Amino acid sequence: MTEYKMFQGCTIGNRIPFLEASARMVFDKLGIKTSEGPFACCPDPVGFNSVDHTSWLAMGARDLTIAEAEEKDIISLCNGCFQTLKLVNKELSHDEHEREKINKILGEVGKEFKGTINVKHFVEVLHEVGEEKIKESIKNDLSGLKVACHTGCHYNRPSEIVQTDDPLKPVKLREIVAATGATPVDYDEEVLCCGAGVGNTEEEPAMQILANKLSSAMNAGAEAIIVNCPACFQQFDTNQKKAEKQTGNSYGLPVLYVTELLALAFGMKPDDMGIKFHRTRPKDLLEKHNLA
Amino acid sequence: MVSVDFELRKKVMDAHIGDTLKYCYQCNRCTDVCPVSQIAPDRYNPRGNIMASFLGINLFMGQKDNFGIWGCTVCDTCDEICPQKIELTEIFTVLKNMSIAAGEGPDYYTTQASTIYDAGKAIPSQPAIERRREQLGLPKVEEPDVSEVQKILNVTKLNKILNK
Repeated sequence: MTEYKMFQGCTIGNRIPFLEASARMVFDKLGIKTSEGPFACCPDPVGFNSVDHTSWLAMGARDLTIAEAEEKDIISLCNGCFQTLKLVNKELSHDEHEREKINKILGEVGKEFKGTINVKHFVEVLHEVGEEKIKESIKNDLSGLKVACHTGCHYNRPSEIVQTDDPLKPVKLREIVAATGATPVDYDEEVLCCGAGVGNTEEEPAMQILANKLSSAMNAGAEAIIVNCPACFQQFDTNQKKAEKQTGNSYGLPVLYVTELLALAFGMKPDDMGIKFHRTRPKDLLEKHNLA
Repeated sequence: MVSVDFELRKKVMDAHIGDTLKYCYQCNRCTDVCPVSQIAPDRYNPRGNIMASFLGINLFMGQKDNFGIWGCTVCDTCDEICPQKIELTEIFTVLKNMSIAAGEGPDYYTTQASTIYDAGKAIPSQPAIERRREQLGLPKVEEPDVSEVQKILNVTKLNKILNK
């Protein structure tokens, strides 16, 4: 069985680690093996790349060399880390001029980028494990639960490089969710960004985008929103109250990481995966579907 | 009077984005799908940014309100939809890098970069979260070699950009 280098990233690792708890529970159950590495920041494709592209390439390349040294692929729990590492890997593998430039920089710390490993998003890996294997582990059938799937932008774009899924109509997350018995609803704003990126610059437009997204999901009858990115998770979960305040709407729409949904379907307890740390409380939802 | 900023034009054209930019015919599909343009049409317009970049008209630096470039939410939707396969987000990254080098841009970006320079991580480890990880049965996050990170970022001159 392949062992991956775990790249949980700064947000999950050092701010909202409960998302990692459900991911590890699900990985164990499905036989996905991982090990740790002394990775630095990926770094952030929205923030750090906007500051200095060359520094972003060099930092990303340094992280990749750590996995290369063990000849293991990386599994990322975060869209941002995934996109950075995937893009840097691709750019330096295909652009000899850039690779030489970056390797000269890495030479200062005795490292060299070779381009010998792959970077995967955990949704890709779960999808490869397959519907059958997921279904074998299900203890709580989630039939009757209607959810809105939100993959976030950096999971499937730019599609020419990341090659995970359809760039404007992603299906893998929906198929994983459907394997639990839950129903992914169709909603108009499914591929709309969560708004976190522009939120770094100004809060008001970010909250308006978030509100439009939440309204669209709720109008389609969703009882929860399912995500696979910690930045999107924080935007939906932590900032939902701000979006309510700005627009005067009331949502109270719980947000679950797809690994939390799977862990609940596998019969694991909400307390063991730290669901109590969510800001938008999913208590009523869990009680309604006998998952509490 | 409109003047051409040749340095801006050169940087944009040099950013290994192929020749695709020259073939933009201003169809506006990028702006049509842009989530920020939809809610703030007077303040953010990717089509306009592409036209100005190509012509070398510097609408970006020295403005009171720099939302015109920093309003981009980096969703990469425009890149997917462009019929001429222009990598718009890469061009916007060039503009943002220039804005930061000119000492402009929202504080968030330089603050985050500064944290990464100091700690190797955008969000450094903290005792309360370490305890929570332990309670959840999670292994310790392995710390990166910060001195290595700083050596790299000194070579790329990020320390100068951040006044370190």
